Amino acid sequence: MFLSLFEWLLGSPPVAFERGQVELLVPWEVFWVAAGALGVVVFFLLGYRRLGRRLGRRGRFLLGAARTAALALVLLCLLRPQLVLSLVVPQENVVAVLLDDSRSMRIPDGEEGRSRSETVLAAFPDDPDAGPVEAALGPLLRETFVTRLFRFSDTTERVASASELDFAGARTDVLGGLRRVADELASLPVAGIVLMSDGADTLIGGGEEELDETLLDLRSRGIRVYPVVIGSSSFEADLELDPPDLPSKVLRGSLLEIRLPLRAVGLAGRTARVEALDGGRIIATESVRFSADSVETAVTLLAPVEEAGVRRLRFRVAPFPGEILTRNNEQSVLIEVDDEPLRLLYFEGQPRWELKFVRRAVAGDPELHVSCLIRTAEGKFYRVDVASADELAGGFPDTREELFGYDGVILGSVEASFFSQDQLNMLRDFVSQRGGGLLTLGGTTAYGEGGYRDTPLAEILPLTLPDITPPSGEPTGGPPPSAFRDLRVLPTRAGALHPVVRLNADPLANEALYQSLPPLSSVNRLEGPKPGAAVLLEGLGPGEEPEPVLLIQRFGRGRAASLTVQDLWVWQMDATVPVEDQTHELLSRRLLRWLAADSPGRLEVSASPNRSLVGERVTLRARVEDERFLAVNDALVEAEVTGPDGVISAVPLRWTGQGDGEYSGVYVTEGAGAHHVEVRATGAGSEPDSEAPRSRTLFEAGTVEDEFFDAEADPDLLARIADATGGRLFEAGAADELVTDLSLAESGTTVVERRELWNVPAAFLLLFGLLAADWGVRHARGLP
Amino acid sequence: MLPAGEPLIPGRGNACGRFRSVRRRAILVAVAVLLAASASAGLWLRKATVAAFQPTPRQIREMLAEATGDDLGGPRFGLPGGGHDFYFTRAAYTGYGWRGSWQVDYPKADVQFLIGLRRLTNLDSYADANGVRLTDPGLGKYPFLYAVEVGYMAMTEQEVLALRRYLQQGGFLVVDDFWGTAEWVNFAHEMGRVLPGRQIEDIPLDHPVFRSFYNVDEIVQVPNLGQGIRGGPTWERDGYQPVVRGIFDDDRRLMVLVNWNTDLGDAWEWAEHPYYPLHYSTYAYEMGVNFIIYAMTH
Repeated sequence: MFLSLFEWLLGSPPVAFERGQVELLVPWEVFWVAAGALGVVVFFLLGYRRLGRRLGRRGRFLLGAARTAALALVLLCLLRPQLVLSLVVPQENVVAVLLDDSRSMRIPDGEEGRSRSETVLAAFPDDPDAGPVEAALGPLLRETFVTRLFRFSDTTERVASASELDFAGARTDVLGGLRRVADELASLPVAGIVLMSDGADTLIGGGEEELDETLLDLRSRGIRVYPVVIGSSSFEADLELDPPDLPSKVLRGSLLEIRLPLRAVGLAGRTARVEALDGGRIIATESVRFSADSVETAVTLLAPVEEAGVRRLRFRVAPFPGEILTRNNEQSVLIEVDDEPLRLLYFEGQPRWELKFVRRAVAGDPELHVSCLIRTAEGKFYRVDVASADELAGGFPDTREELFGYDGVILGSVEASFFSQDQLNMLRDFVSQRGGGLLTLGGTTAYGEGGYRDTPLAEILPLTLPDITPPSGEPTGGPPPSAFRDLRVLPTRAGALHPVVRLNADPLANEALYQSLPPLSSVNRLEGPKPGAAVLLEGLGPGEEPEPVLLIQRFGRGRAASLTVQDLWVWQMDATVPVEDQTHELLSRRLLRWLAADSPGRLEVSASPNRSLVGERVTLRARVEDERFLAVNDALVEAEVTGPDGVISAVPLRWTGQGDGEYSGVYVTEGAGAHHVEVRATGAGSEPDSEAPRSRTLFEAGTVEDEFFDAEADPDLLARIADATGGRLFEAGAADELVTDLSLAESGTTVVERRELWNVPAAFLLLFGLLAADWGVRHARGLP
Repeated sequence: MLPAGEPLIPGRGNACGRFRSVRRRAILVAVAVLLAASASAGLWLRKATVAAFQPTPRQIREMLAEATGDDLGGPRFGLPGGGHDFYFTRAAYTGYGWRGSWQVDYPKADVQFLIGLRRLTNLDSYADANGVRLTDPGLGKYPFLYAVEVGYMAMTEQEVLALRRYLQQGGFLVVDDFWGTAEWVNFAHEMGRVLPGRQIEDIPLDHPVFRSFYNVDEIVQVPNLGQGIRGGPTWERDGYQPVVRGIFDDDRRLMVLVNWNTDLGDAWEWAEHPYYPLHYSTYAYEMGVNFIIYAMTH
């Protein structure tokens, strides 16, 4: 409306004044006329001076101003102002039209439930005679320009008409589309590029620099981009599940901790129930209530995985009433559930009940194998659950090869002086370099009482050990009886959410469970958690402040956990604990699984991206280490990729040269579905080739649903493209303005046009208004 | 058929002959009584002599307190102070007899065994005896139980329930010092009440319980003090053959270990006795240590 009025009043649209230049065509005679007019003004003013009494000061000013302005306007018109424009020559220039062909264009968020794709098709009708072509962008463009249509999604290609679009593209690559068009039209006079898209780009992420470079290139070539934003930038009500955060490989029987980010718009006060499913079976649920209209949050699901093999985990939220886009209420991910047991070493410096009950707890867990070594007397060891006659035959391991064969180590009550300095260093390296897990238990010869304060192990522990050496410098010989204290153990806030400690999905029931358990005891004196450590369980004892009972932290590549109590087994044996209670078993298993689950093997493999389109390149990466977990750069590493059709492809992985032990290779996906990758590294250690380390991973091709995520129209990105190239952002209905703007683009083949401005309606109306004001004032004061 | 009036045995109907016979019998009885009295007096004298050289339980505890620094308040029921990894715990059950059969050899056997246990292993063990009733709410703090004279066991229903819970939760019971068929029947009956449906099985010698600390290659019948120092038969009643049997849970974990027709407790109690054979005590200690190491690791 405003633009139309502007154009009627001034004879040209605003963009013409923005792009063009206003010049005065001044003949010399006009200066004489101007001088005469100045004389007339002086005459008027003198005349008003005579009438001063009847007019008053205000009236005198008004009349003077009106007449002066009228006269100035006439004078300006006599100077013949002109708008000089550079107009494209009709049918001499090309306009490239990039049409978004991705799946997000199917979202029906337009007026009256119209989808984005329908808006595009209406703008570029196949049959100009059908439908309201006067408002359609396509026909209007064709009146002035030679148009070239391109469809773009993950790829870009030329199309004859918009009807060839199927809106099935799995991704939107705006950057790729612009590049392709600019290259294709490099030798043609291009008036500009029209980009019809929702702007929900799914490939730019991380490619900001490339986008800026491309836009700068377009600007330098004088090609303006005119984005037309399709779709709504904000849904009325929508819930979106984003990709979950979880490991690609888990151990069977684990309680998988899944962090699922989600975004909610227009759902204030509503509650979403998030479900995790494994093969159609609900394995975890969690509810989240939205307190505001626009919420970005995450829920943590603890889901048990019971079956080995490749599993597809799905996450979903039932659609809310009024939700237009429901495809983003689901997420799915492939994970590999491993059934190769974790190997742990449990060493006790003396027989203790803890060992018996840990063994009982893990006995029902086929994924945990705990080899036990107990020093039953000085120099005498007892082995239980060893895998072979040789295992631990020499006592506690004294070589890296032997120790690093385990995924986790549990140290019970054993004094630091039992270990050699090499063994202590090895234990530290076991965590920091090899990536294993270390759990220390409370006891009479553990922690400070065991003399660990100034050892390499103290670095790993998530708690600080006090100096408890007596003044004489002699060892204490164990804690004094006064150090013994009962502790009522409860989860902390962090613990209530942690998969190790959260034994019941219901937070209140979990709290109640711990409340019902008998107290445990500790004899160790401790200072407190280190910065960066998380306290999962704390104990209320005789002191006022609760003291940490279970602490965890990462150290280097591995994990460290400390249990400060000495008798977790009481939660199994106490008379107040029901016989069928599984608290002790669950807690022990989860703690040990957590401890060792992330310990890497000698060969670690990954695929990136793990969800791709068919035909995309997938990079396979491997990290290779020898038995001592030192990186190996000269191993022979080969991957076998088994596609969904069972075809096996060999992909050699070569040392990247960028990092020790890092290898990579590229595989181009050929079929849709899960791809299994098995990698073998020969020559990485001293073992024969037949026993060379192997590792597996998997990735998926062809089922990318990214288009329905972050699917709101993104005018910000489109506006940025317009600004950077000198174009303008348009709404879908502004076809006329777009064509006009394009006509003035100063790109391609143009011709100069001069438009007179003295005869525009605005000039006449202004002059008439000024004279009418003059007359009105005079009439009101009774002047002639 | 014999004629009427004939004696059944010729000569027995003679009165003089009958008198001689009575006198002979009286002499024989008198001699027997005299011999028995002198033998008893000798035994009493010997025992009294030996006892005079033995430390009393109080003396033992005082020696222990001095050696270990533990605050040993003497044998007691209930819960000693925490802090030790192991408590040798005597099961106090309801049984026949005026003072309770569970107390046999208590506390000296327990204390003397603990002396050996602490010396032979690096177990952090409480040094004193620890008698705990089966119905004590703190029973679960002691996952090892030792019970004797279970042939006289007559548990109350509460004790049965408490012992069942204890064993199902992971507790370990060693029984000892009961002999012969009659006592076995009583014990088997009581165990049937505690763990209905579970069999008591022989434990083969290749079982880990015989290898957990010492290698035990044979089952030895350990006699009581009297038989031990006297020599001769080592059995009591009809318990001729010593056996080690067990009750297993569903996962074949040993819950109850049964020493039948043997008396390890006496061998611990009288290990220092100059006349009690050393090899019995040695064997008893080996078995006891093995039981505890096994119980704490399995």
